[in-house]
Amino acid sequence: MTANSVPSKIFTPKAARPAPVKTTGAVAWMRQNLFNGWFNTILTLAIVVGVGSVLPAMLDWVFLSASFSGAAQADCTGTGACWVFINAWSQQLFYGTYPAEEIWRINICVVLMAGVLSAPVWLPHHLRNRVDIALLLLFPLVAVVIMDGRLLGLQYVSTDHWGGFTFNVMLAAVSMILGMPLGFLWALGRRSTSMPMIRSICVVLIEFFRGVPILALFFMGSVMLPLFFPEGTTVDKLLRVWIVLVLFMAGYMAEVYRGGFQAIPKGQYEAADSLGLSYWQTTLLVILPQVIKVSMPNILATAVMLFKNTTFLLIIGVPEVLNTAQSALNNSAWLGGYASEAYLFVGFVFWCCCFGMSMVSNHIERKLDTTRR
Amino acid sequence: MLKKTAMLAIGLTAGVSLSAQAGTLEDVQKRGVVSCGVSTGLAGFSQKDEKGQWSGMDVDVCRAVAAAVFGDDTKVQYKPLTAKERFTALQSGEVDILSRNTTWTQSRDTSLGLNFVGVNYYDGQGFMVSKKLGVKSALELDGATVCIQAGTTTELNLADYFRANGLKYTAITFDTSDQTRAAFESGRCDVLTSDQSQLYALRIGLQKPDEAIVLPEVISKEPLGPAVRQGDDVWFNIAKWSLAAMIEAESLGITSKNAADLVASGTPDQKRFLGVEGDFGKNMGISNDWAKNITLKVGNYGESFERNVGQGSPLKIARGLNAQWNQGGILYSWPIR
Amino acid sequence: MSNGKSPAFYNNPHVRALVYQTLLLAGLGWFMFSIVSNTLANMEARGIRTGFDFLGNVAGFDILMSLVPYDASKTYFDTFIVGLLNTVLVSVIGIVFSTLLGFVMGVANFSSNWLIRKLSVLYVEVFRNIPVLLQIFFWYFAVLAALPNARNSISLGEAIFLNIRGLYLPKPVAEPGAGLVYGAIVVALVGIVVLKVWAKRKQDRDGSQLPVLWMSLGMLVGLPLLAFMVAGAPFTLDFPTLRGFNFQGGITVIPELMALSVALSIYTGAFIAEAVRAGVQAVPHGQTEAARSLGLRDGQIMKLIVVPQAMRVIVPLLNSEYQSLVKNSTLATAIGYPDLFTVFVGTSLNQTGQAIEIVAMTLTVYFTVNMLISLGMNLLNRKVALVERK
Repeated sequence: MTANSVPSKIFTPKAARPAPVKTTGAVAWMRQNLFNGWFNTILTLAIVVGVGSVLPAMLDWVFLSASFSGAAQADCTGTGACWVFINAWSQQLFYGTYPAEEIWRINICVVLMAGVLSAPVWLPHHLRNRVDIALLLLFPLVAVVIMDGRLLGLQYVSTDHWGGFTFNVMLAAVSMILGMPLGFLWALGRRSTSMPMIRSICVVLIEFFRGVPILALFFMGSVMLPLFFPEGTTVDKLLRVWIVLVLFMAGYMAEVYRGGFQAIPKGQYEAADSLGLSYWQTTLLVILPQVIKVSMPNILATAVMLFKNTTFLLIIGVPEVLNTAQSALNNSAWLGGYASEAYLFVGFVFWCCCFGMSMVSNHIERKLDTTRR
Repeated sequence: MLKKTAMLAIGLTAGVSLSAQAGTLEDVQKRGVVSCGVSTGLAGFSQKDEKGQWSGMDVDVCRAVAAAVFGDDTKVQYKPLTAKERFTALQSGEVDILSRNTTWTQSRDTSLGLNFVGVNYYDGQGFMVSKKLGVKSALELDGATVCIQAGTTTELNLADYFRANGLKYTAITFDTSDQTRAAFESGRCDVLTSDQSQLYALRIGLQKPDEAIVLPEVISKEPLGPAVRQGDDVWFNIAKWSLAAMIEAESLGITSKNAADLVASGTPDQKRFLGVEGDFGKNMGISNDWAKNITLKVGNYGESFERNVGQGSPLKIARGLNAQWNQGGILYSWPIR
Repeated sequence: MSNGKSPAFYNNPHVRALVYQTLLLAGLGWFMFSIVSNTLANMEARGIRTGFDFLGNVAGFDILMSLVPYDASKTYFDTFIVGLLNTVLVSVIGIVFSTLLGFVMGVANFSSNWLIRKLSVLYVEVFRNIPVLLQIFFWYFAVLAALPNARNSISLGEAIFLNIRGLYLPKPVAEPGAGLVYGAIVVALVGIVVLKVWAKRKQDRDGSQLPVLWMSLGMLVGLPLLAFMVAGAPFTLDFPTLRGFNFQGGITVIPELMALSVALSIYTGAFIAEAVRAGVQAVPHGQTEAARSLGLRDGQIMKLIVVPQAMRVIVPLLNSEYQSLVKNSTLATAIGYPDLFTVFVGTSLNQTGQAIEIVAMTLTVYFTVNMLISLGMNLLNRKVALVERK
């Protein structure tokens, strides 16, 4: 303790030696993740060689030798892709033949749609349930009124001019919004024990719309449905297709809800019953929110599927984006074979949207997953 | 519930239209536009440009009818239809006139509840082959693979022709002309068969048009024409004479450029045509300057032809059968008098 | 209620149920009646024929590919059969390959190789999020269209040829004595079933496992091979040769079939890979750890512990993926592969104009096929579920 008790020897550790190169840093990472074992080494090398042989040529075609600016076929001077084609047709690819000076109406609808679909995020808590559902159900109506224009005193734009990518988006959104409640009704009907007739009708509806190809349903809409209406009545092709899409969606959603219903514990019903809630109160206030929560990932996956399936409308000649692209490819001023550019562009746009939606889906899934911490 | 009812009401106003059981002409006049069924995209016949403007031989018929009824060729609502939907669309009243590259056949004219009003393009099915094959005639095509653009008569004509000549072949059917062309270009098939007018359009679309030739054989008669619903003679007459006026204008030498001058200085024939003399429009229930309007807005048949498929277009199709009767073709319109 | 009266009859749930159902039925009946009467009236007014008589008429057009003999002189019913078989063919090919691809890519997600893991993720995210119709166009118009023409075919030993017209394979032609080989195949199949049952009994008895897979494969290859040699090679190969415009002879796989199968397999495979990933992830980690502490090898852990449990999650998902594959096969019509949709709803409908009959027949077929798939997968599901309970 005193001054003269200074220890004769103090342990001074040597500076630590750096870790062996083989266990840290880039080299070790590569050893662990790329070259662990002969099998993985071969696979790694094969992938590197494969990517290395394809990527430069692709980049060259897409960017380096491509033509970007211009307005006519003559401007495609490069040896690579001719993005001029996409440029010249971009308005139609996105908006169809909607009059140029009225395109703001489509933009408003798209913004509204984004607002309505994201409403659960920005609405204050106490308003969510009531307002959100009202907003959702009102949206298709508002969108149709804006696009059509007659009721608002705007220029009338007939459905023949609706088209392009925004049309795919809107059609998917409104079909989704209307298909969800309808599907819920069907799913409820299917669960009904006291009304066997209603149950069998719902089962038939659900299984029919899930069991047949949507392309066949579109054909029904375009070729058969006109025969179903009384003589002298014509129903717009778009409306017919829309009906088909809503029913198709309802069938798929009913199946999604069925999985959701199975996840609800019986105690929830019993608790609601003991509180004296009626059937509809129980269903709408207790069960529905939980079903939606449980099925959210599947609902979104179904929405993505529906969105991608709107391209099938090409085959019955509805001017959605792929159809617009094909009619552009057939235009006599652009007969140079720009199919790769067109399909690549459409594929890219779809990929961005669908990938974004699956990201959102993952996010919600993680957020709603209250079971795991 | 209220919301749903409202929605239904809107849906109905937006999409469902009850055509009154009156005549098509009254319906069209009340609506303010002619609803015209066209092809979803067929070079030279009905195609949309970057701005969404329709043009083509078939489209010009729609414009002519609109010009005759309203004096304004833009009052047309184009309804692109696939081959399968076209007759249903006309029958159900979704379109007032079907101008969609449709072959006039007996069975269609008599059993589908429609009437053809005339022929706006005399076509025939032909073959296109790659020059490298060295084929000069369709009879040398034994064992070939044939790309077909799905039509309604194309497949049958092809099967008949090859069977009649004892030739074997493999057929691949595509939905759109773009797909057919792409398949031909890649070498998937040796031969491409379609209506001749389309063969020229497809040939232009090839990367190397010079390496393909159209064979001389024409294996079928394909008179393409517009059609209207059966049982409405007033409308039938308007459509029929709108088409006839385009052809007649050419034989009278009236063009979109000189029509205005000829009103004062024309021959009696020309003056009758332009509505200066006689009541030819009134007899059909439309204004007397109907034919003048058609010529001014759309042009005569020759102008329409050259602009859409002839020398003024990338297709560069020769007039051939579609020239006037006194110039080697078979176009012969009925006199307006 | 308190004064002992029974509730009013309109509050009786049974009465209500009856009333609701009657109303709905009446509404539905009226709806159906008006549709049927409208349709009949419309068809009469438009001179559209009705009934199924057209099935006996001569079709008069040719079809690119047929698994049964067909030419232009056959009837519309034959076109239906040809289209149906082609649909079944592409569906079976698609299901087999999408399952293989999906399982490989799904398991690749758990690889120790970083590149492989990323490749698996990339594969799923790219191909799942692009409409399948675009993918079909891509494979057909961009990839397969780049193959050489018939004269410059890629050939493998002058027996197999690949060009823009398709893949040409030699075709085995049976000669007298071939029956012995067919018989050997049947015997081998029976033997495999017997072996499987016997191996199961043995395992239940003394816990030892037999290499059933290898023994089965050995039987399946060995027995027919033996018969082949005993019978003195009763097969000759019909090689494809270039004559005139095309290769003649052999078996031809048309590019439309290849493009459609590839696109459907890759698209559906992405979904299956995702299902497999989810299935494997759903098996708690403790299971693997416990198995390892029991001394099981990695391969055994996969086969005996992880896969049977993962299958419970995977099988129901597979069911819907297979069904959607069959439904998506209708897109064949976009590239001209002669499936049921192209041939029957396409050309035959164009020729006859009998939309209602043809669409109804087609819907029935797809509905039935999907029900069969569902039935099969439910059986499989019951089997994997039992494994869990034991």
